[in-house]
Amino acid sequence: MKSKLVLLLAVVFLTTSLLMGCGAQQQAPTETTEETEAPEEAEEPTTVETVRIGAILPLTGGAAATGVKLRAAMEVAQDIINGEYPELAKVPLAKEVGLPNLGNAKLEIIFADHQGNPEMAKSEAERLIEQGVAGLVGAYQSSCTKPASQAAEQYGVPFVAGSSSSAALTERGLNYFVRVAPNDDIETAMFFDYLIYLNDKYNADIKTVAVAYIDNEFGVHAKEMVEKWVKEKYGALGFELVGVVPYAVDVTNVDTEVQQIKSLNADAVFHASYIADITMFVNKYKEFKVAPKAVLNYCGGFQDTQFVVNLGSDSDYFAGGAAFSAEKLGDMPELAKINEFYKAKTGADLDGPALEEFSSVLVLAEAINIAKSLDGDAIIEVIKNTKFDAPYYATGAIKFDAKGQNEILASYMVQTQNGKYQAVYPEEIATAEPVVPIPDWDKRN
Amino acid sequence: MKYRRAEDSPLFTKLKGEEHMIIAQIIANGILMGFIYALVSVGLTLIWGVMDIINFAHGEFLMISMYTAFWMFSLFAMDPLIALPICTILIFVIGVLTYLGIIRRVINAPGLTALLATFGLSMFLKNLAQFLWTPNFRYINNSMVSGKTIELGSIVIGVSQVVAAVASIILTVAVMLFIDRTRTGKAIQATALNKNTALLMGINTKKIYAITFGLSGACVGAAGALMATFFPIYPASGALYSVLAFVSVAMGGFGNIKGALFGGLIIGLAEALGGYMLGTQFKYAIVFLIYLIVIQVRPKGLFGW
Repeated sequence: MKSKLVLLLAVVFLTTSLLMGCGAQQQAPTETTEETEAPEEAEEPTTVETVRIGAILPLTGGAAATGVKLRAAMEVAQDIINGEYPELAKVPLAKEVGLPNLGNAKLEIIFADHQGNPEMAKSEAERLIEQGVAGLVGAYQSSCTKPASQAAEQYGVPFVAGSSSSAALTERGLNYFVRVAPNDDIETAMFFDYLIYLNDKYNADIKTVAVAYIDNEFGVHAKEMVEKWVKEKYGALGFELVGVVPYAVDVTNVDTEVQQIKSLNADAVFHASYIADITMFVNKYKEFKVAPKAVLNYCGGFQDTQFVVNLGSDSDYFAGGAAFSAEKLGDMPELAKINEFYKAKTGADLDGPALEEFSSVLVLAEAINIAKSLDGDAIIEVIKNTKFDAPYYATGAIKFDAKGQNEILASYMVQTQNGKYQAVYPEEIATAEPVVPIPDWDKRN
Repeated sequence: MKYRRAEDSPLFTKLKGEEHMIIAQIIANGILMGFIYALVSVGLTLIWGVMDIINFAHGEFLMISMYTAFWMFSLFAMDPLIALPICTILIFVIGVLTYLGIIRRVINAPGLTALLATFGLSMFLKNLAQFLWTPNFRYINNSMVSGKTIELGSIVIGVSQVVAAVASIILTVAVMLFIDRTRTGKAIQATALNKNTALLMGINTKKIYAITFGLSGACVGAAGALMATFFPIYPASGALYSVLAFVSVAMGGFGNIKGALFGGLIIGLAEALGGYMLGTQFKYAIVFLIYLIVIQVRPKGLFGW
């Protein structure tokens, strides 16, 4: 029996490791050019053959589905930078080969896999820095971006986060960290503004709000931002937070969580969830006939187009903040072209996080090009003082504030309607009218 | 932050009117999930009881079965319930091959060797699945039982879970009858009790081990087909369930099939009720706390021998 208990302990240990993502071998970096040494702080306009940047993503583990897509988006950015695309002339670095100010040096992204594990994200960041990358991008999950960017800060290497949305990331006073995506602070305010719009224009009568969130950096901060905004502003405008429902990161079922949400009976539910969990939630909403007037999703699983593929018509009427809607491609030729490249790699349309990670590579590469240097200080100086053209965003540009947050809101509200992500708010960029309240499950079809 | 309803949150609550119904619903959910955990556990406990081996790739067998059901559905429009025999037979074969190719060579080595071998197999299968089928989340949302519900008053039960629960009971009883009533079953029992004596009695223990591994695979293969109707399918989908299956097996008693069933039920109820009463973020903590208490009081598990 003792031996069985010893074995059991070993099982628990190994299983925990497995779930934490410690078990798998780390992703080998893509083939690197051996001759390129770690560039020392270069003062003269550097002429190197290859500029290397590091990308840390969850390429295996629970969020691998998303991580692999984000890698494809980054590769599209790399291809655009390294190739010649006159038709994308408005996109920085697209019309010439490589980085023109550095002797048309090619950009090379070295990918590393953090498996959704914060500790591994940090060690992979350090490994990439030791390999001499000029900057870092990634890491999708805020819980991983946090330690990875902390490591970058120690080494004075710029870190451009694409889609990580925890507000806390830009509240740490880091000098070498910026983030393209709207943080959950900004996104929460947008959610409430959207609810006000629904109340004013569509008599939605939404007053009570609940938050369902994954119990990690991303979810907890989203919840805290709702609490903050209700206290500071939207409470006075008639909104009330009636309850919060956290759930474990590796959740096998969400029956109890959905019962909690049902018993809170909130008019609107804010979700901070990834693709696996939000899929389970929607199924349980249907099973238990839970239909709040509105369900709004932070940047995460809902924005992944697999959400619509998996759930079919059940995915309709959910909403969330996103930087991308395929319905807007007709108005945005650059975005349409980028989407075409991405689709050729993945078979799917872009989504918000993918576009944000795409833009993080472009921002970092353009900053290196403008700085004409691989020195971290020179690059971050450019990043913080430049307004970057971003014709692939509805707002057209990226500009970071003193804390490193992109102050030009890159996203808008989208709602799934007939399997499509329609832009529904702000009104001036909308491609469809919002459907509110969400119809009861037995009144669909 | 205090919420308006914090004072009457489920922890302190008002058990009146609709709250009774919610608790009843939670219990129903807990029991159904419990049967599903049991379904995954039965195969695991067999190997554990008979061979003293922890099959770390058990979750990956489940995952492969779920993918099999998915591909049968998307390529041939075959409902997972109809594909169930295919999944069962396929994983039976994979189980036998696992024994012949890997376990047979390490069975006489110290316990950790076999454990690490199955761990390696688990990593291989998971990464192979990611390579072959991408890490995308797949979902079968229009099988013959998906999305259908049974309403008992205000209690709503998903048909797919009910089917899985009924199958879990049938499977458990079938495996118990097989072990108790058939010659092969008796040979399995004899081998589990004492391999060397069984060998002296003329039992081909290698064959028995292969059958046991296959049987375990068949159980988890059936579980995978049933779970594919309501659970997302991705390379790591089996791992989540296998952790709870390990606990269920240890809590019920090593190698005890009935114990695995009850262990699963305890886990299902503990996470559902505990999660609702104390907060959903604690639901797995409660499961593991109960497990720790059980092994303190009964180190052999509830039904251990």
